[in-house]
Amino acid sequence: MSLSIGEPISGGQAARGWDEMSTRFDGGIDLGKIRALLQQAKDRGGSPGETISAFNLVAIYFSPAAYERAQAALEAAGRLHPSRLLVLIAEPHAEGESVAARVSVVRSGGAVSLERIVLTAQGGGVRHLESALLGLLVPDLPVVVVWGGRPEGALLRRAVDMADRVIIDSGTRPPQALADVGAMLARGAPIGDLAWARIFPWMSLAAEVLDVPNLREHRGKLKSARVICAGGIGSEGVLLAGWFASRVKKARVELVTGREPEMDSAMPGAGDGTSITGLPSATPLGKGQIAVFEFTAPPASFTLRREKSVLVAEVRGDDDGEILHRLRLPPETPGRLLGLELKLLAGQDELYAAAVQAAVKLLPQSGS
Amino acid sequence: MPYAPEHDELPNPLRVGLRADSVPEPCALVVFGASGDLAHRKLIPALYNLALTAHLPAALGVVGVSKSEYTHEQYQEDMREAVGQFSRTKPVDEDVWRDFAGGLRYVPGAFDDDSTFQRLAGTLEELDRARATRGNRLFYFATPPSTFPVLLRQLQKHRMIRPPGEARFTRVVIEKPFGRDLASARALNRMVLEVMDERQIFRIDHYLGKETVQNLLVFRFGNTIFEPIWNRNYIDHVQITAAEELGIESRGRYYEEAGILRDMIQNHVLQLVSLTAMEAPAAFDADAVRDEKVKVLRTISPLEGPEAVAQRVVLGQYTAGQIAGNDVPGYREEKDVAKGSRTPTFAAIKLNVDSWRWDGVPFYLRSGKRLPKRLTEIAIQFRKLPHALFGEGAAAPNTLIVRVQPEEGIALRFSAKVPGERYRPRTVSMDFRYGTAFAAASPEAYERLLLDALRGDQTLFTRKDEVEAAWKLVDGILQTIEAPDAPPPFPYEAGSWGPRESDELLGRDGRAWRRP
Repeated sequence: MSLSIGEPISGGQAARGWDEMSTRFDGGIDLGKIRALLQQAKDRGGSPGETISAFNLVAIYFSPAAYERAQAALEAAGRLHPSRLLVLIAEPHAEGESVAARVSVVRSGGAVSLERIVLTAQGGGVRHLESALLGLLVPDLPVVVVWGGRPEGALLRRAVDMADRVIIDSGTRPPQALADVGAMLARGAPIGDLAWARIFPWMSLAAEVLDVPNLREHRGKLKSARVICAGGIGSEGVLLAGWFASRVKKARVELVTGREPEMDSAMPGAGDGTSITGLPSATPLGKGQIAVFEFTAPPASFTLRREKSVLVAEVRGDDDGEILHRLRLPPETPGRLLGLELKLLAGQDELYAAAVQAAVKLLPQSGS
Repeated sequence: MPYAPEHDELPNPLRVGLRADSVPEPCALVVFGASGDLAHRKLIPALYNLALTAHLPAALGVVGVSKSEYTHEQYQEDMREAVGQFSRTKPVDEDVWRDFAGGLRYVPGAFDDDSTFQRLAGTLEELDRARATRGNRLFYFATPPSTFPVLLRQLQKHRMIRPPGEARFTRVVIEKPFGRDLASARALNRMVLEVMDERQIFRIDHYLGKETVQNLLVFRFGNTIFEPIWNRNYIDHVQITAAEELGIESRGRYYEEAGILRDMIQNHVLQLVSLTAMEAPAAFDADAVRDEKVKVLRTISPLEGPEAVAQRVVLGQYTAGQIAGNDVPGYREEKDVAKGSRTPTFAAIKLNVDSWRWDGVPFYLRSGKRLPKRLTEIAIQFRKLPHALFGEGAAAPNTLIVRVQPEEGIALRFSAKVPGERYRPRTVSMDFRYGTAFAAASPEAYERLLLDALRGDQTLFTRKDEVEAAWKLVDGILQTIEAPDAPPPFPYEAGSWGPRESDELLGRDGRAWRRP
């Protein structure tokens, strides 16, 4: 086992504002060394100060590139919610059997508000990650796992068993992957989904229009809904349709492919399977994303559509005439979606679980 | 609690379980006093930040009304400058501002002039069409209290106030001070309630919009470990300090009328007393919380008559001194202040809360201008150890300090053993700071309160009975100190913690002020 300890990367310069220390293990992991590095990183700030943690945030990826893409969002969420951030990067197909550890802290007002430990395992070294994770968790605090891989497999199942909450991003996968998510949810898995957080504004606006005093009369008459996705069906659209179907049981709900978005963008879920955590897809409209959401309560019809950064709701057929309601889409900042999902630190979001179960039933018709 | 369904309507099937914050209904917000300091420094920057964070409906219009002559465009430019200067987030996002400013209008005119309100009505109708604000109105009185009656009469006369329960809502936000004594507060309440319902009235005290003040409720009622010791069995006394480095700046005329009792004690400081002393509400809704707060005010022993006031109240007025190394003038040398002014700029008060929980636990309040630093805190001083195991005086009593501003947070002081062979205790501090624990910048108090008013949530606004109960307490002191034969306030040097008599107030009880 070769070991280099205490050498800051970048020739002693703090990396991107982080005071980072690194080490490498070529056979087994010495958790004591990692803890010592963490202590060193804390001591580098002069006065040790106190450490504040609200939970353990564990992020699991299968390529360094996937982590790189998610990094800004994880750091932003981690700073907002003081935590120990444990990043596990598993490269089982790489050569060798090493585990590299990078350790750093973020201070806020003199106290340590974020401790970050990044373990990158290659080849056979991957088998050490799970036990290392268990040894590095802050005791007693909730464990939230951000899962950057496909929503399937033994490792995810173990993460689900161990964690208080597992956050995936079904928006980076073909919508059919929601069937696997639905199966896990049915067993009680505490899964959260960034794609779900992306459709909050749509759900919120739909609810808002039925809260408008002169439109409340339509609540009991909801009959049908239609979600139109741009150029192909994406998971967000399926979730929105599923949400409506789960809330209004007798309604007829359909998913429709609309015209291609004007601006080219990758089809969600058709890429390399890596997460785009924290890059909310509100603007510009991407392929597969929701373009229009319509629902009816005869004689009234409600149409929600996106106009750049604003969601617009139009109501027709109401006896008060046409009504327009608008909702600005939230700003796109790293970590916003993750921050929304981190509001719930344990257990299952029952609304999401019901929406996924209903969405899965809609999937066979999603190819239109 | 943005929206409460009527009892006979179906629940909204799409609302159930949503975690996303509710965006308020479309609305036109009318700011009376639109060219004033409050609008420039607080209200418009707060609205801009709410727009920036997607908390406002896109269907929002804002109309400024005041005497100054502006066109719509000039007012938009003026407010853009104000946002650039006073917004907590910088730089200004021009797209968001453009969208927000698209709904910004201005109506110049005097409040007692009917034509002002005729033009306002026209502008509001235009906004209903252009911005789809749908007839909903939030009127904000960012004006001196003397204008409230005329504004209310004009709104009523021009049929701008709709009764509650109608499809289109009307609400009014009224800035402090709400009256200048109990009689005027009651008269104002009567007048307001003649033209609208209590559910439409939002009496604002911006202290309640501060995160730490709201956190006091979470701290007390969201933890199991504090509430069992939050009573006379464990607490010796409570100290509440609201100190300002600043003098009266350019507000001499206002301050001569108000003084520290009306400016700080009747509202901000008594709010802190209520939140510290209240029982757990049955639910976290506007009326349940305010019911408990008003009960506290009603259980405080009245301070009436020269003897009670002399025993339990110390008033002061600052003289010339130094603040942060700079010479500052005395109160009587300030602009628009009478040479022989008897207006107090400092108050120290001992309150007794006559309840099962607080019997025998004094609440010492202290607030003043030109004190050594700007600070607001609540210090809960626990009882002494029953037995001095480590020697008399070795272990200091525990103190819990809730810092409202600046450096919002909570600190607990407790004894720990000094490393070494002997058992020597030393007091250490465990410090929780909001800015550290939650890296997100807290919203300004006005952001929270404006959003709540737009949503119709009154929890953080003062109810009629609450404001009158607070005035009743302060009124007893005012009547005594404003009597012709009342002694003048004690002088204290600017930069000190108030007159020495303030120390004696606690000294008589064998206690001393904390040095914050």
